Amino acid sequence: MVALAEQIKRPMPCAEANQGWKAELNLGFKRKLEHTVLSRHTQFGPLTVQRPFYPEKETCHLYLLHPPGGVVGGDELRINVRLEEEARVLLTTPGATKFYRSMGALAQQVQTLSVADGCALEWLPQENIFFDQTRSHLSTRIVLEDTARFIGWEINCYGRPASRDLFTKGLVRTRLEVIRDGVPLLLDQLLVEDASALKSPGSFNGYSCFGTLVATQVSPRLLDLVRTIVSTRENRQLVGLSLLDDLLVARCLGHYSESIANTLRSIWAALRPELLEREACHPRIWST
Amino acid sequence: MQASRQLPLLKLLQLSSPTLPVGAFAYSQGLESAVDAGFVADANTLETWLLDTLKLSLLLLDIPVFSRLYQGWESKDMEAVRNWNSLLYAQRETSELRAEDQHQAVALGRLLADLGIGQAEEWKTDKTACFLTLFSLAAVTWNIEKEQAAYGYLWSWLDKQIAAAIKLVPLGQTDGQRVLSRLLPQIPAIVEQGLACDDEQIGASLPMLAILSSQHEMQYSRLFRS
Repeated sequence: MVALAEQIKRPMPCAEANQGWKAELNLGFKRKLEHTVLSRHTQFGPLTVQRPFYPEKETCHLYLLHPPGGVVGGDELRINVRLEEEARVLLTTPGATKFYRSMGALAQQVQTLSVADGCALEWLPQENIFFDQTRSHLSTRIVLEDTARFIGWEINCYGRPASRDLFTKGLVRTRLEVIRDGVPLLLDQLLVEDASALKSPGSFNGYSCFGTLVATQVSPRLLDLVRTIVSTRENRQLVGLSLLDDLLVARCLGHYSESIANTLRSIWAALRPELLEREACHPRIWST
Repeated sequence: MQASRQLPLLKLLQLSSPTLPVGAFAYSQGLESAVDAGFVADANTLETWLLDTLKLSLLLLDIPVFSRLYQGWESKDMEAVRNWNSLLYAQRETSELRAEDQHQAVALGRLLADLGIGQAEEWKTDKTACFLTLFSLAAVTWNIEKEQAAYGYLWSWLDKQIAAAIKLVPLGQTDGQRVLSRLLPQIPAIVEQGLACDDEQIGASLPMLAILSSQHEMQYSRLFRS
């Protein structure tokens, strides 16, 4: 798959001559005997998935692939996921999603994750990198029915300061929305148009990466457990945990996506035994 | 004639006054944690903090949502009022910031109901009520123009933040008034741009403020409830 990704990779990480990719991926999951199966899979354009695999008994692990390797102005990518009938699914991606510089056109990625009663979804993608002068909207909409369980995160990085690749201007609007039975539980929207938000003390205060983890059905006792794990970490980043009724929101600001991913993974690992009755099972792709 | 034309101005002053009994003095909207973390240490850093919050958050969230709530009350569209209230509540990032908003909202709901505004009744015990929902109800009922009411809301927000900063930093009263004087000229542009936002532009989270506010929930010794 990596080879395929290399083949179709655009030659220049800045292109606008085309009208942009229009791509859509629709995935439906159901429980079938012991396993959760990918019961519906339609796609057009360059968005696809690898074959599901089962490192744990019934949970379906699946990697989402975007072979062009980056999103440019004019692209419109839609990912629609639906879990039904006791499905248990873990989704991740093999690498960062890169939003490249735009000459003016907007790139859009809209991810809708819909989880029916009795199902459990883990949404654990690798980071999004917004390059300087990108114009991008990224929206993640999590739609839950009553007893649906969800743990997931988004990690957004603005530029790559480690490579002296700073975000100075452009437009990045990210939106993370959790809705349960039609009621919005959380809506975090963030607009970054230049370096001012990244420098502002109340906003990014000079950090360039921001990760947000959300998890449902978290008790105050479980929050205390997560607090002990986070407070023992010493990795020069800032973490805030807040429980909004039963929705845990963990926010993390730092310089490096890797350390933020590590923090969010350790929170995920702490939550998983109680919320999903499973020890953490790290997708192999994370260690490559 | 002149007297009745000026009445909405007087009602706006009443609605924006620090003596409005909604318990605002108990909350700092994250400012206490910003002082503790060293982000706000004097008049200059306070000014930066407040101006950023105005431009990066209130302009993109409070003001455009206020405008829609106002229109909802004005056209008696209760579904719109409910929806915008829910969306605003969902954008208060932490449990402390939600409690701050909700406590003041129900306090204002009780007050308005006591003052004879029947529509406030159902909000008196609402667990997800937002202050702006009740503020906009009062503005519509008292014939305060939308733009004027937005000015009043921002002035009142600034006034409360400066009162909190005077206790927390601490700052002298005159320094507080200096910061206020420097920030007031920014308000017209913030109101104008905030009222002009499209639906899709609405929303503004402040990551560091949200993290500090989360940490404040665990802070041992504190003057304010947020």
